[in-house]
Amino acid sequence: MSRTPDSPAAHARPVPVPIPLQAGIGLRFPHHQAVLCGEAKAAWFEVHPENYLDAAVEVLERVRADRPVSLHATGLSLGSFEGVDEDHLSRIADLAARIEPGLISDHLSWSVTGGTYLPDLLPVPCTDEVLDVFARNVDRVQAVLKRPILVENPSAYLAYADSAMEEGEFLAALVARSGCGVLLDVNNVAVSAANLGGDAGTRLAALMDRVPAAAIGEIHLAGHAVRTLEDGTMVRIDDHGSPIGAEVWSLFETAIRRIGARPTLIEWDTAIPPFAALAREAAMADLLMAAGEEHHAAA
Amino acid sequence: MRLHELQHAFARAVLTGEGLPPVFRAGPVPVEAALRVHRNTVLGAGVNALRLSCPTVDRLVGEAFFDQAAAAFVRSSPPRVARLSAYGEGFAEFLASHAPAAVLPYLPDVARLDLAMDQAVRSPQGERRFVLEAGVTLALPAGLTALWLDYPADRIRNALEAGDDAALAAIDLTPRPRPLLVWRSGEASAIAAVSAPAAAFAGALMAGGAADAALTAAIFHAEPEEALAAIQGEIFGGAFCRILKGEQT
Repeated sequence: MSRTPDSPAAHARPVPVPIPLQAGIGLRFPHHQAVLCGEAKAAWFEVHPENYLDAAVEVLERVRADRPVSLHATGLSLGSFEGVDEDHLSRIADLAARIEPGLISDHLSWSVTGGTYLPDLLPVPCTDEVLDVFARNVDRVQAVLKRPILVENPSAYLAYADSAMEEGEFLAALVARSGCGVLLDVNNVAVSAANLGGDAGTRLAALMDRVPAAAIGEIHLAGHAVRTLEDGTMVRIDDHGSPIGAEVWSLFETAIRRIGARPTLIEWDTAIPPFAALAREAAMADLLMAAGEEHHAAA
Repeated sequence: MRLHELQHAFARAVLTGEGLPPVFRAGPVPVEAALRVHRNTVLGAGVNALRLSCPTVDRLVGEAFFDQAAAAFVRSSPPRVARLSAYGEGFAEFLASHAPAAVLPYLPDVARLDLAMDQAVRSPQGERRFVLEAGVTLALPAGLTALWLDYPADRIRNALEAGDDAALAAIDLTPRPRPLLVWRSGEASAIAAVSAPAAAFAGALMAGGAADAALTAAIFHAEPEEALAAIQGEIFGGAFCRILKGEQT
């Protein structure tokens, strides 16, 4: 049976396409039109699925027709004691079935308690109890989505006194328990190191010492704000609203040299610049990735 | 402290400013300052979601007033689900009881219209079909909503969108029933001011009522002949409506 462009089969679900080992761009609403008309291009795009759980999915389907897409969730609340919101998970699963994304991810954080959703990535203490909660919730999400997900190290502003594990140890244990992967956000490493005290390079090395390289399925790059409090204390805020800084580029090079090339995302969420600025950062990431991969292969 | 207690306490601290138990290690950033970062993120995301779905309210009251009112709403009625595009239920009622907004009695209706238009444009393409009689089916947009307002929020919105200060100043703000229909039209949403019988008929159908029940709802607002004429002219003759006959059904 032949298939014409207008036959129902031509509009069937897309075949899953892996995310390439190249830099992709976080797609946000201001760039929809430029992407849809072909003016703005990237090797792949990543979106927050929570923004496409209504008619906006029609736009995402058109984007997906031309490029691989990754879904980076912010609302599954994998660290919620009360478990994952089944209705929300079901909506994400429906979207994933329509889009067939190359990757799906969320964060090592929580945002839902007592039926209230706090739109933020809130911190958890790294304890055995919390590890049990994450393992249970990640298992549930992976069972419904029928695939492993990636869990991202978030930016931290607070450190719990009773954390029994470092972040890397906790993530490694979660990988071992649930079979999930890790999304390594090197900007978050820099933000957390500054806010909690410590050197970013040391924090990155500690994380990569613990998490198996094979488990790291994606890298995020972004900028962050630096604010000075009234008492002179500096706080770094993970607002994804400025160019990627030199420290983050350096951490990225270190990571690639150690683990090799990975799908790498340029992520902006505030003060979103023209697409060309994002494309330049993606090109920079591709250059560094090629050099880092060469070093990694030689080593 | 167990995780569920910690998460409840954290949520209270973020939303109300209430202090947290001493569960954090001292670090370069003071705990209260770190909590403020989370509070700003949570409130900012909620306020921004409301600003996107209520652009007319935002234009009417200005950024500073909107920020203050919306943040108060987020604190009292935080989102329930991780879909901020669906957030805003209760915002109009909140504005109606928000003392600083009392001088703008039409503001809640403006919010109702903004939210309805935002939801309409997010509704799926497609139609809902209702059998009127054998061989005759009415097709309405899947996201059609009937709104029962007391102020001409549609005229306020149109004047603001057009930047027409003269038209805005000329709007009669005497409260009187202002039924509207809102639906998705292509990539935008559309509004039509209709009579009460027409709004009641469409609203009853979209709420799941049968044609007979919808007609009864319409007749509640007018004499039967007048109600039927309104339905005929404003619904069947509406740009959003299709009548399917015979094999089309």
